[in-house]
Amino acid sequence: MTDTIQHKAYLFDATRCIDCRACMVACSVENNIPMDKTRIWVAGVGVTGEFPTLQRSTMVAHCMHCVHPDCMSACPVGAYSKAADGPVSYNPDLCIGCRYCMNACAFGVPHFDYDKGIVDGAFIDKCTFCPQRIYNGDEPACVATCPTDALEYGEREELLKKAHERIAAHPGKYIDHVYGEFEKGGTSYLVLSHVPFRDLGLPEMDEHPINETTEAIMEGTIPFAVAWAGVLTAVAGVSRVISKQKENASPEKPHTEAKE
Amino acid sequence: MTNTLSRRDFLKLGGAAGAALAVGQILPAPVAQAAKEAGHLNADGDGYISSMCEMCVWRCGLIAKIKDGRVVKLDGNPEHPHSRGNLCPRGQSGLMNTYDPDRVLTPLIRVGKRGEGLFRKASWDEALDLVASKMKEIKDKYGPEAMVFSSTHNLSQVQFENLLYAYGSPNYGTQRSLCFNAMITAFLLTYGVEEPARNYENAEYILMIGRNMMEAISTSETGELSRALDRGAKLVYLDPRYTKTASKATEWIPIRPGTDSAFLLAMINVITQNKLADCEFVEKYVQGCDELPTAMQRYTPAWAEQITGVPAATIERIAREYAAAKHNAMAHPGWRTSNFINSFQTERAIATLNALSGTVMSPGGCLSTEVAAEGAGLGAPPQPPYPRVSALRLDGAPWMYPLVPLKLGVFQHLRDSIVSGEPYQAHGWFISRQNPVASLPDRNKTLQAFEKMDFIVTVDIVMNDTAWFSDVILPEASYLERYDPLLPVGGKAFLRQPVIEPQGEAKSALWIYKQLGERLGLGDFFQYADEEDYLRQQLAPLGVTLEEVKAKGYAEMPEEEHSGSEFTFNTPSGKIEVYSETLKNAGFSPWPTWEEPPMPAEGEFYLLTGKVAQHTQFGTQNNQLLHKYSDEPRLWMNAKTAAARGLQDADWVLVTSPVGKAHVQLLATEAIRPDCVYMTPGYGHISKGLTTAFGVGASDSVLHVTYTDPISGGQALSQTFVTVQKA
Ligand code: SF4
Ligand code: SF4
Ligand code: SF4
Repeated sequence: MTDTIQHKAYLFDATRCIDCRACMVACSVENNIPMDKTRIWVAGVGVTGEFPTLQRSTMVAHCMHCVHPDCMSACPVGAYSKAADGPVSYNPDLCIGCRYCMNACAFGVPHFDYDKGIVDGAFIDKCTFCPQRIYNGDEPACVATCPTDALEYGEREELLKKAHERIAAHPGKYIDHVYGEFEKGGTSYLVLSHVPFRDLGLPEMDEHPINETTEAIMEGTIPFAVAWAGVLTAVAGVSRVISKQKENASPEKPHTEAKE
Repeated sequence: MTNTLSRRDFLKLGGAAGAALAVGQILPAPVAQAAKEAGHLNADGDGYISSMCEMCVWRCGLIAKIKDGRVVKLDGNPEHPHSRGNLCPRGQSGLMNTYDPDRVLTPLIRVGKRGEGLFRKASWDEALDLVASKMKEIKDKYGPEAMVFSSTHNLSQVQFENLLYAYGSPNYGTQRSLCFNAMITAFLLTYGVEEPARNYENAEYILMIGRNMMEAISTSETGELSRALDRGAKLVYLDPRYTKTASKATEWIPIRPGTDSAFLLAMINVITQNKLADCEFVEKYVQGCDELPTAMQRYTPAWAEQITGVPAATIERIAREYAAAKHNAMAHPGWRTSNFINSFQTERAIATLNALSGTVMSPGGCLSTEVAAEGAGLGAPPQPPYPRVSALRLDGAPWMYPLVPLKLGVFQHLRDSIVSGEPYQAHGWFISRQNPVASLPDRNKTLQAFEKMDFIVTVDIVMNDTAWFSDVILPEASYLERYDPLLPVGGKAFLRQPVIEPQGEAKSALWIYKQLGERLGLGDFFQYADEEDYLRQQLAPLGVTLEEVKAKGYAEMPEEEHSGSEFTFNTPSGKIEVYSETLKNAGFSPWPTWEEPPMPAEGEFYLLTGKVAQHTQFGTQNNQLLHKYSDEPRLWMNAKTAAARGLQDADWVLVTSPVGKAHVQLLATEAIRPDCVYMTPGYGHISKGLTTAFGVGASDSVLHVTYTDPISGGQALSQTFVTVQKA
């Protein structure tokens, strides 16, 4: 199932990640991400169990750079492309705001910016694989700074080999599986874990690329999507209000007033 | 509990600060002129400049990436032993500290009442003249001892100290007694070294006593621990809280706060009673080796179980495992060890365990006492001798605290003496790069001390809480905008050089202290023309030009001499003093010993504090990037304890200690002992000049009661007990 071409990839090892978020700060600076947005975040169920028998399950999540990207096949106007060596990129100039990619991506990566609305153009944002770095001989910003080597970058085949060697060298430490090796026909973000992958927020899925079917369905959707664009503008306005209300009601909303 | 940061949390800053600009929109970041002249950039204005991080005291090497004449990114310097190519989240966010919209960029002079926040802009000449005249006035009226100086660990501190010693004051407050006095005093007394170096290369069995290495990050050491665990080293970690380090440990022991030393003494008991240490080897180097088994006899694992709540069998097993690993075992000395008034004894027990495993006496062992003195091998500007000081120190060292190293002092006692006016009244306070209003325990008392002052001046890059209550604020250039003295690490002297031009009127500390020195008639103590001249004088013995160092980022130092295979220790006996006559002569136990700490009463909790990876003490909460990627600062309480009290996750609660109250939101979690609550230190800022941090979270310092360990002078930060009610 995996590609035979030279394909770049990441290897994330959940047993090494200390959830320090240096990778996230690095991404924000490298890619000029607005303060209220992110391309990379913490996923997983966090701390589970009962005191004192506890376990922490978190992972760093960003675009999986799938070998057969669903976002790309769902996009009616070809705003997504897949480079032969790995990166899945998104072109805001082509995007019409239909949000099909958001629904198509099993990992919840494409992110719609309701604040900007459809007419303002660039409202989907996601990890780019830092082309400005990798094509200049650097590692992606998130990988380069990781103090524990929880994130690594390299050739997909080599990282897979490394991952399997690590599993073999530490019996009982890892789940005997490299997530992303076969899932969805292979991703470029490979994950090693000590806890079930679903606890890291990764969907369980069969090992065939879903887009073999979606590609076929999406073929006929372009005129439909364009027609819907106008309607969606109105919908986007409404959903923005709803999302704001939810945000206000959320117990996790930070309190900025001093209560002391 | 799910303690993860999902994407929806990222609206928080947009909500808090109104604007949600990208980093690039905030950062004008024109590259420093000096960097251009040094030839770091190509014709397009692209290139790299190496310098040093200052987001914490680990000081990783960094490389600033310049694109079109603008600084766009900081990366770790692979050649620097503290970063090895990586930076932690704080280091990654450094540009945002420099480009904080809240930077103070001109000297300010207070016009309103103290704490009202009304200031007017002033020129450097006016501000410096005012500071110098006030300092002279205080010296003339009350003597130099009436002027208090305080500053926290930084590379220009040597010139800050130069200013205060030349001025003639004995009163110097540093962060040390709020941090590592217990560790340093214990290691000085036992090994004659302040802080042994750690080596994880051969570590097989690592014992960490509340050293939350995965959150209190020192980039290289955190990486080394992580790699040691990857290759199968065991980590036994004692902490009342399930920290991120606990989640990586082989074994997490949620020990009762304040009882670490009982656990460790019982380990020593098991090792000595069962002769598990390599005695022939140990005897040669350890003072008290023969009597140790008798001295430790009463500390049985069964005894320790009663106190610590850890089963005797567990303690016994860990002791045996530790001993079996021999010099590949390390009991980590820790860092912020200001926890209980018995923390010094905890550190003495840690020092003893490392002696018994033989690790410090073994080449390639996990701890090494061969640590070079800071600044050794470098030149320095000439200067006359300092004036003699006869006044008592207001911090009580050494006249109340005979064993506290003079360099460390007792800052909280200094503050208390200002309030009491005993043994004499202080009248002025010069603060540089420090925020005592937020950092000293019992904030109300610190504000009382401020009220006693005729004059307060603060040097900082932002309007921190202390600056907010000051009379004059002198704007310092940030670490990316200035030079600092060189720092030798691992055979190289590393340079901090400006990568960005100072914004506004900001100036380097080296410049500020010299200007003040000259105005105070102390110009002879500051014999350097400017920052570059200072560095040239430092480099003189190395025979390297500043230009070469600017290009490379460091200068090679001559090879250090190694003392060979014989280990000597800088103690009165020349041995490792597990038994210490010095302690005995001062009226304390010569052996590591058990001292019962106080316990919370029914209905009270231990108030714990401890680091998160995104913040350093009290100085980074206003950094928008760190704010963006850190969890909200809530009060952790065990979920079952909370439920039993009718409290729910996210409830607002009132936390009450004997000295203060704080409102904070609750985090109900399984990750903490039922008898403890925890809060992240450094929040609850009261300066309205910190627009991102103001009003976020609550201050631990408001709640902390001042308790001082009589031996080390350390503040006991976990010895405050609180009640928690629904707000
Ligand atoms: S930098 Fe590395 S250790 Fe830190 S959160 Fe990211 S992946 Fe995890
Ligand atoms: S590869 Fe680049 S864009 Fe993608 S998450 Fe990492 S730093 Fe961000
Ligand atoms: S540990 Fe982090 S904050 Fe400290 S010097 Fe290194 S990168 Fe900077």
